[in-house]
Amino acid sequence: MAIEERLRGVFVESLQLDEGAAVENLKYRDIEAWDSVGHMALVAAIEDEFDVQFDTDQVIDMSSFKVAVDMLRGMLDG
Amino acid sequence: MLVHEDARLIHAPSGEVLRGAQLGTAVRRRADELADLPPGVVFLRASTELSSVLDYLGAIAAGRSIALLDPSLEETLLAGLLERFRPAALLGAVGVPPIAGYYPDGEGRTWLREATEGVVPHPELAVLLPTSGTTGNPKLVRLSRRAVLHNAETIGKVLGIADTDVAPTSLPLHYSYGLSVLNSHLMRGAAVLLHPEGLFARSFWDAVGEYEVTTFAGVPYHYEMLRKLRFDPARYPSLRTLTQAGGRMRVELVEEFHAKMRAVGGRLFVMYGQTEAAPRMATVPAERLPDKVGSVGCALPDGAFSIKRADGNETTHPGIGGEVVYRGPNVMMGYADQEAELGEGDQLAGVLHTGDLGYLDEDGYLFITGRLKRIGKIFGNRVNLDDLEQLVREADLGVDEVAVVAGADKVVVWLAGAAEQSCQSAAHTLADRLHLHIRGFDVRSVDALPLRSNGKIDYPELEARG
Repeated sequence: MAIEERLRGVFVESLQLDEGAAVENLKYRDIEAWDSVGHMALVAAIEDEFDVQFDTDQVIDMSSFKVAVDMLRGMLDG
Repeated sequence: MLVHEDARLIHAPSGEVLRGAQLGTAVRRRADELADLPPGVVFLRASTELSSVLDYLGAIAAGRSIALLDPSLEETLLAGLLERFRPAALLGAVGVPPIAGYYPDGEGRTWLREATEGVVPHPELAVLLPTSGTTGNPKLVRLSRRAVLHNAETIGKVLGIADTDVAPTSLPLHYSYGLSVLNSHLMRGAAVLLHPEGLFARSFWDAVGEYEVTTFAGVPYHYEMLRKLRFDPARYPSLRTLTQAGGRMRVELVEEFHAKMRAVGGRLFVMYGQTEAAPRMATVPAERLPDKVGSVGCALPDGAFSIKRADGNETTHPGIGGEVVYRGPNVMMGYADQEAELGEGDQLAGVLHTGDLGYLDEDGYLFITGRLKRIGKIFGNRVNLDDLEQLVREADLGVDEVAVVAGADKVVVWLAGAAEQSCQSAAHTLADRLHLHIRGFDVRSVDALPLRSNGKIDYPELEARG
């Protein structure tokens, strides 16, 4: 499955969004569910799903769905 | 004096700094304006803007009783508070819709009460803070000037706060712990960095570096965040003092952050308090932390703990469990439910029955084991569990049997015979109404709520389910 599709699932699940919710343009703090608490859950869930570990800067910089996709591409390809 | 002559206020978003005579003048000017208001308390929707902090400091300097409120407080709750307490003015009112009986002043930053007559608050009454900011009809905790100043001074000494310290507003100022950080640092001539963002914002960490932040105050949830961030104190050479309060933190986190700070010559202080004690009651001195892990500390200087046993007698004998009772000059004057009670004097005589259960060890260190009152904490926010049950019942989910118990930095909501959909709706409803993240509400369905022989809900049994 493509990274976007898997990541979409992680966003919906960990932020407890509606099944069909649009996440592609979602940014940190756009919605109530993606506040600091949501961010913590989200980062943990992405790490589990993709078996990666983010560093301090990556956790802070993961400010949108798109950024997360790019970050994961870089980590998984390398 | 609350504001030491060396104290600084730094507004991070603009870079503006107020210090020395300039800060004193700004406070004085605000104090003069507030002194002219008709009788009554002053309400402040507290934020990290300079004007907001000056409102607070001005009120204290003018001897005006001031209540600090969450700016995101729901309209109906704010309206209810205004009706019950009839403040002379609502400060920080930008964005607040028109209020009956009040008119806007200037650019709408302040709403003033039309009626000039009002109850004169007790002369000792300095600060009022809501018991729980988010549910029901919060009472206000009445704190005397002496309690606030004494507590700020004592905690400043115990933590060794110096004029070289720089403390960011990592906690909101309407929260007693956040206010304590402001008070204790200003009193010791240190700097307070006003920053609106949280730990996951790049700008926060930039400010930590730029202003050489030395200390950080957090509730357990902040330490979970720091852990997720893989916080490394070596990256922030100025940041050497961490404090933790606002609920019990799990032992592994205490040990982890103690070790991290120790390794770079820094310190972690674990502390215990309640808004009703202005708020600090105990700290674990950083060097005692390793052999006192799990304790919330020993009483502050001038304070004392005892344990009230089931038979009503108090003891300081080690190992005996019961309700934690605190005595000290920082104990509140009492609660207020409405305007008329603002004029009342001290009703507690320095004795606070905390509603927490615990025991003391042979060195007088307090260990908290549970709660007597039906109170829970969600990400450090105190919530009344009975109020939550009421909210769920009123939410039209078709579920009447509801039991809410406290969990680890969350609440567990048990619904009898509820469908998955109802559980989700309940979680959403509570998150919306309390303005807290949905992950703070763990809603579970159960065939039937467990009952005790007297027919009441068996809360301990539900708590034990974890």
